[in-house]
Amino acid sequence: MSVIKCSELSKTYDDVLALENVNLTIERGEFFGLLGPNGAGKTTLLKILTGQIRATKGYAEILGMNIEDNVMEVKKKIAIIPEQESPPSFLTPREVLEMVASIRKIDEPKTEYWIDFFDLQPMEGRVCRNLSRGQKQKVMLAAAFISETELMFLDEPFINLDPIVQTKVRDWLVGYVKGGGTVFLNTHLLENAQRLCDRAAIIHEGNIQSVIKLKDLDKQNMNLEQLFHEIIL
Amino acid sequence: MNKIILWRMLQEEIRLNTSFASGRGFYSFPILVAISGFIAVMFTDQMVADMGYYQYLEILHIGLMFYGIFAGSLAFFGNEFLERIFGYLGLIIGLPNTQPITQRKITLLYFIKEFIFYSFFTLVPAFIGGIIGAHYNDISLMSLTKFGLSLSITFLSGLSFAYLISSLYRISWKTSVLGAGTTAIIYVYILRELSVTASLEWYLTGNLVFIVTAILIPIVLSLIATLLIKDHQEQAPVQMIGYQNRLQEYIKKFNWARNISHPAIISKERIDLQRSKTGIKMFFSFAFPLGILTFMNWFIDKGLPVQIDFNTIFYGVMVGFFGTMIYSWLNTIDNPHFYSTLPISVSDVVRARLVLFFTITWWIPLLFLTLISYMSSEINLLPIGIIVMITVGMYIVNYTAWSTGLRTNSALFDSIVFLKFFIVSVPPMIAMTILSLAIKYSISIVLISLSTICAILALLSIFFYNRIEAKWLNESFD
Repeated sequence: MSVIKCSELSKTYDDVLALENVNLTIERGEFFGLLGPNGAGKTTLLKILTGQIRATKGYAEILGMNIEDNVMEVKKKIAIIPEQESPPSFLTPREVLEMVASIRKIDEPKTEYWIDFFDLQPMEGRVCRNLSRGQKQKVMLAAAFISETELMFLDEPFINLDPIVQTKVRDWLVGYVKGGGTVFLNTHLLENAQRLCDRAAIIHEGNIQSVIKLKDLDKQNMNLEQLFHEIIL
Repeated sequence: MNKIILWRMLQEEIRLNTSFASGRGFYSFPILVAISGFIAVMFTDQMVADMGYYQYLEILHIGLMFYGIFAGSLAFFGNEFLERIFGYLGLIIGLPNTQPITQRKITLLYFIKEFIFYSFFTLVPAFIGGIIGAHYNDISLMSLTKFGLSLSITFLSGLSFAYLISSLYRISWKTSVLGAGTTAIIYVYILRELSVTASLEWYLTGNLVFIVTAILIPIVLSLIATLLIKDHQEQAPVQMIGYQNRLQEYIKKFNWARNISHPAIISKERIDLQRSKTGIKMFFSFAFPLGILTFMNWFIDKGLPVQIDFNTIFYGVMVGFFGTMIYSWLNTIDNPHFYSTLPISVSDVVRARLVLFFTITWWIPLLFLTLISYMSSEINLLPIGIIVMITVGMYIVNYTAWSTGLRTNSALFDSIVFLKFFIVSVPPMIAMTILSLAIKYSISIVLISLSTICAILALLSIFFYNRIEAKWLNESFD
């Protein structure tokens, strides 16, 4: 069953064409990567799919719901990690998780588990404004993971994380997908995409240039980096 | 190099303004200013007849002085708020962090840029409007040019005063308060037996000593301000640790408002207000315009042949109107970007901030009104003043929330939004001001009229509040 479906999706900002006729279908339980150079349209596509901005043209649905007509319903069923780590400045990490749990009406939130997972105890009593960028990113990840949704949109989630936390997050995401969850990952870190994704699309100048299964790429004795260079350069 | 930086700063200023106001709104602002200049000149004879020649000129100079201080404060203290609202903003003034240019030099260029920008954005259009008005009003072009020049110098003095205060503030807030007080005392001492500004004295007497003094004042102030800037200034320490987790406690407290907005959002906003110490800033930002108002009251009393008594009801109108400032403060505390990851809409956050306005910050206007009422020995008028204040506050804040959402400050830079705000806010205020002044002549008629206006404003408040959902439901937090 497809959880993300879009057809002929386009987005223009004034005269700039950020996305052009994007067609994509992502199945439940997939780890999907959207790869592309800076300014290729990755974040724009993610924002449209998560109801943060509207497409200029085309159609998109998430979990069978037309996004434009059901923004709030869609947002209830997805977790988002935006490109910029921007947790509320004046809340402590614990308060951020409590706020998310309250808004999302999670009955028994695993606050302690995620505080422990991301080693946030040393930040108790500190507000997010005073945290480093890596620490803020941990709070953003914890806020997304505590949501326990069946679909996750991650925009460059590994930026600013130290290697140990990167490994922990990667392992958790692999387990999440095995357990039936779906991940839509935006990244230009090809090594992470190679390790994690079942399928990936390469986007360049607003156009999807290629959609490939990572297993098929292995059979051709190619890796993502080679394919990426071949398409983009 | 300086010319290039200055030019790029001007481009940056225009792009910054057009990014948070519509381009059309931004570029039509000078037209509005030109119309104001035209009207001011057209009604000069009337104003001079009513107020007296000297008082009229003095009021214009005081206005321009405060305009300069306001513009300077916005320029030198505004970037922090912009970053809170929009997230990180890389501006040319931050260039010394990465490039071999001193903070002192870049800040001086920034100050010059501000004067050029405001000159072309407001002073020149006002002057052009004045020239057109002079054509119909038989005012000498030479006299108008000379007066325009004197006003520009006064504006520059206000701007450079704000620059000096911002430089002192980099050292500490106590230094800035002390510096502001000392500068004001020296200024008053120098001009103790003259007009309010040296440039006005030059305009009135033609004595060249005064034009030299007038030009020297902003030069000296900006020079001191520039010399005070160091390249390695330590930021004032912020509280790092020791914050109690209070969200759950507030969620329980605000559960009563669950049909208005989500208690967790209201609680988050409540904690933001407390930890950012914005309540204190709100208090002082209230004190400033009320101080000016009280000064103007005193000045008009002193200068006009007729006695005007601004009473508690009048101040109730004014204090209620300043509620819009409190709402705009609530929109400057934190960047709302995080909300975009949650199943909530902009209208939820707007309503949460309205709950805060009506439940948490109400003490600020109430305190001011009670103080004013007590000092004027008008405690008997306080209940009416409070009712007027609440009604005007509800009306103006609901309208502001409906029309500007989470971006009050930037939206009001759009001249079209501003014009609508002006049209909605000014007529009821004028009507209520006139009624407040007439209360000693016919108390029953005034009370009936005030009640009618209050009822209409209350209904309009409900009308604007009910439209918030539809207006902001699909708006992005970006």
